[in-house]
Formats: sequence, C-alpha cells, structure tokens
Amino acid sequence: MHELSIAQSIVDSAREHAALNGGRRVLRIGVRIGEISGVAVDALEFCFGLTVKDTDLDGAALELEHVPVRYRCGACTHEFHPVEFLADCPSCGSSGASMVAGDELGMSFLELE
Amino acid sequence: MTERVEVREGVLKENDRIALELRERLAASGTLCLNLISSPGAGKTSILEGTLEALRPTPLRIAVLTGDIQTERDADRLKRYGFPALQITTGGTCHLDASMVKRSFATLPPDALDILFIENVGNLVCPASYDLGEDAKVVVLSVTEGDDKPLKYPGIFRRARLMLLHKIDLLPHTRFSRDAAVADARRVNPGIEVVETSCLAEPGLGAWLRWIDGQLAIKRGAGRPARG
Repeated sequence: MHELSIAQSIVDSAREHAALNGGRRVLRIGVRIGEISGVAVDALEFCFGLTVKDTDLDGAALELEHVPVRYRCGACTHEFHPVEFLADCPSCGSSGASMVAGDELGMSFLELE
Repeated sequence: MTERVEVREGVLKENDRIALELRERLAASGTLCLNLISSPGAGKTSILEGTLEALRPTPLRIAVLTGDIQTERDADRLKRYGFPALQITTGGTCHLDASMVKRSFATLPPDALDILFIENVGNLVCPASYDLGEDAKVVVLSVTEGDDKPLKYPGIFRRARLMLLHKIDLLPHTRFSRDAAVADARRVNPGIEVVETSCLAEPGLGAWLRWIDGQLAIKRGAGRPARG
C-alpha cells in the first residue's frame, strides 16, 4: 500500500506544473501506469481523492493509462505482449526479445483551465 | 478554454532526485550500497547477521540501515557485530524511500564507509518502486516461499541485480524447483545473477560474500574481484 505516497507525488507534480503554466486550475491529470509497476489502480484512485479533497486540486480528474508489458524482438523488431514474460517472438520464433514497456510510472499530461 | 500540457517525467521524481544525491555522495566516498528486498521472513536480517559476522575480522567499514514498520528488534540484532546499525521505523509505510534513508544516513558516524547495507521493509511489491541510491537491489527468495514468486512479483525481480536463493538447505523438504525459479526470474530479467545461500547449513554464505567482494572491486574501479 504505497499508493498514498504515489498520489501525493502526483499531486505535487501537478501543482508544480500548473504553477509553471500561470497557476491555472487543474482539470485533469494523466498518469501512465505500467502493468508491472506494482501500483494498485483502485487504491491509487481512492488515495488521490483523499489527497485532493478540500485543496486547490479538489475536483481534478485522474486519468490513468494502463500500459501493458510489451516486448520487442531483437531479431525481427516485432512487438508483442508476452505470455508470462516469455521472450519467444510469436512472429519469427527467436527468443531474444526484451521489455520495452510495462514498468513505467510516469506523469503524462495536465489539462488546465 | 482548456489547454493540455504534456508532462513527461516520473511520478516519483522527488524520490529519484534524493536518491541521485545519495548515489553521488556514496560514489564520492567509494561506498558500495546494497538494498536487500524480500517478503517478511525470507531471511534478510539473518543473512545480514551472518554477513557482518563474517566481515567483522576484515578492515571493511560497514553500516546497516534496517527498515521495519514497527520495533527496533532488527537493529538490536545487527548491532551485536560491532558495526553501526540504525533502525528506520516507518510507522506503517510498507517500503523505504530515499528521504528516509537520507535522514537516517545523516545520523551515522561521518566516517567513510566501504559498504552500506539497507534492509528494506519485508514486502515484494512496494520497495521495488523506490530508488534509494543503491548500487544494486538484491532480492532474497527463500525456498519455503515457493518458486512461483518471480512471475507473481515481476517488478522486483526485474529491478534486482542479484537473487539470493535462500534457505537452500531446505530444498529437499519442499516442492521448490530451483530451475523453475531461476528460469522465471530470467524471463523478467535476463541479466539477473543468482547465488544460493543458507545461514544454517552448507553452502553457507560464501558465494554471497564473494559476490560482495566482486562488487566492491568494481566500485573501487579495480575491474576484477579482490583476493582474500
């Protein structure tokens, strides 16, 4: 349960970027959450609500973009969602694929009034 | 009129900033920093006790920061080996973050260290997200936990440089498959190194101590493991 501290970090970042953009009201915050980032989406949404309540960000929406694990084949560059992290490329059969997405936990955008 | 502003940065950038500060400070003093992560009860504290006992006769300067939700018990256990050991009591938080480590590190004696061990809060999920300025995360998987953990908790196995297969002496009494555990850990992290350990029986902690020795040599820029 580290979602409360993650919610606080999201709010801090949103506030900082809103201030850099003329201090406008934040309407929506976009965050990318990788499949193996270890973040529980329901808990994060709950904690975000608690964190912004009765603050300048009260009412801002949190838009979470789920980023599935994606592998890229080293031989043929085909990208695919692996089954249980198996690196075997479904296109060419080589086994040298590596993870290119799925472990991120990043800010994506802000929608400002 | 609403405007959309792209923000491309990590959510935990403040943690990452403090971690970078710690990493630079540890680099300046040539200190190897290892962050041990496992489930509760996997054996982190016992491994550290055995490690400190083995390294006590060496000239290495060592300190330990140990995180738990409650109690000073781990620090009390680890202090018996003559090295500074500080407890970080998180009071409920399920992981250590860089600011906790920075505060605790600041209260250590100011002497330069060769090794700083950080024992994280027992948890295979949350600690994986937080950079503490370490050179390497070390994940401890004890054989009594089951060989399915690397695929169930891929985040930590992906970020760890080393996996300790611990309590390996109990292997004959479990259904744990070391081949499956290693193969699965390498699915999520092809570069992960694996060392087998036991605090109570053969093979002991020798391979782990040699791994540390190798990391120390790399940290000091020697490029090859020291003898001894």
